[in-house]
Amino acid sequence: MTRPVYLIREALVNMGRNWMVVLGAILAVFVSLTLAMGAVIGSEIVRINTLQWQDGDHVIVFLKGAVDGITLESHLGLESEINSWDIVQSTRYVDQAGAYDEFQQIFANSPALIREVDPASLPASIRIELTDISRWRDVQLRLIDQPAVRSVTAQGTVLESVSTVARVMNVGGTILALIMAGSAVVLIANTIRMAIYARRDEVAIMKLVGASNWFVRIPFFIEGILEGVVGALLAVILVALFRPWLAEAGEAIDLIQLGVSDGFFYQRSVILVAFGGLAGLLGAAVGLRRFLKV
Amino acid sequence: MIRLQDVTKVYDGATVAVQDIELDIQKGEFVFLVGPSGSGKSTLIRLLLREEEATRGHIWVAGKDITKLPSWKVPYLRRTVGTVFQDFKLLPQKTVGENVAFALEVIGRPRTVVHTQVEQVLDLVGLADKGDRFPHQLSGGEQQRVSVARAFVNRPPILLCDEPTGNLDPATSVGIMRLLDRINRTGTTVVMATHDHAIVDAMRRRVVALDAGTVTRDQRTGRYEEGTGT
Repeated sequence: MTRPVYLIREALVNMGRNWMVVLGAILAVFVSLTLAMGAVIGSEIVRINTLQWQDGDHVIVFLKGAVDGITLESHLGLESEINSWDIVQSTRYVDQAGAYDEFQQIFANSPALIREVDPASLPASIRIELTDISRWRDVQLRLIDQPAVRSVTAQGTVLESVSTVARVMNVGGTILALIMAGSAVVLIANTIRMAIYARRDEVAIMKLVGASNWFVRIPFFIEGILEGVVGALLAVILVALFRPWLAEAGEAIDLIQLGVSDGFFYQRSVILVAFGGLAGLLGAAVGLRRFLKV
Repeated sequence: MIRLQDVTKVYDGATVAVQDIELDIQKGEFVFLVGPSGSGKSTLIRLLLREEEATRGHIWVAGKDITKLPSWKVPYLRRTVGTVFQDFKLLPQKTVGENVAFALEVIGRPRTVVHTQVEQVLDLVGLADKGDRFPHQLSGGEQQRVSVARAFVNRPPILLCDEPTGNLDPATSVGIMRLLDRINRTGTTVVMATHDHAIVDAMRRRVVALDAGTVTRDQRTGRYEEGTGT
């Protein structure tokens, strides 16, 4: 029998003998890494939705019209001035006809409302996309006193709260994932210690007859890695089962997207399984540290 | 084969287990370590196995100064030293054959070599027909034979025995001593710590007496108690 086969067999026999402890460790890793994977996916969902909301018009400047003595030239002059500002990425002028088209699209399901509204009552506007959306207040202050400006609205308040949520979710998710990962390592270390305790006579004899330290340790490392990988695989399977359900729920809500791309999911799954193995290896190393001195 | 020079072992900075031990054991010798409990016999055995490190002095085993041996080389030292203990130290879930084979498997011997050497050594200790039995199915004497077989299966040049007859009745002890004598005649150096007066007196081999951690007597063909001897 070759040594690798012997070592793997020893690890499996070991796991079979202490199957309840091993099962406990696998389930603990499974729960920890499911929560970690959930946190990772939650962060991604927030990121995707924040991006969606961040796209488009950050500031809308509603303009006074002919009745106020403001001409089209004034509108275009203002747009040109705004365009020259550093913090402005681009501008788009929407005249009254354009505003009416937009109104009709938005209220396509309410023909009565469309009939009631006079196109002349809808103001022309300049839609502004900023290079840095956090500076929306500066733009608002510079525009508010312009003679051609009727009012200025910004998604700034919404964006700020969304950004805060995103930051909290990202930091919170990372912290939660790290805590869960740490607990997985500790749980595996504990299991390995119990396995060593259960095999203490065998280990003592192995050392007495001259087994190298690595020969004694490797089955425990294999056990730790297997526990980590199996726990992580179970976590990936559970999250994979919930993914379609989550995406459907998002579609039902309509405003937000609850799905992540296949590429993102597969990549993170591979990382999670690799992390499971690494956590197992680390847990085994911690568990072995004190117990296997020469 | 074994040389101790000015060896002292102090536990916790206060308890002196052995002190200023000077000892030379030649290849093929059979040496009894005798003395009362706490005299330092077992500490000496543990020092030779590098289960303990000497506080002072040098110990050479098979030509190597084991006090300077790095930890990762200790397993290689132990492959040159077979060990037999009073409590047999057998694995209850393994058969006799598996217990003996275990000593070869864990040092990476090929399967064919393991099979051949296990057969030979079980024949040597008189257990050729009991390879499939489990330890609990054997008598105390037979279990100690398995322990000797496991210690000798790798053909080490040195065999260390710590009270190997301590759990056996006199008749069974004689059988074990015959076996150790037979192994010694193959050129293996045997060092045996014992309290058994009758065995030491009957064998008439070299006797090193210890008391309170120091060597008080070293006779080429001695008895347990001080008296006649050379």
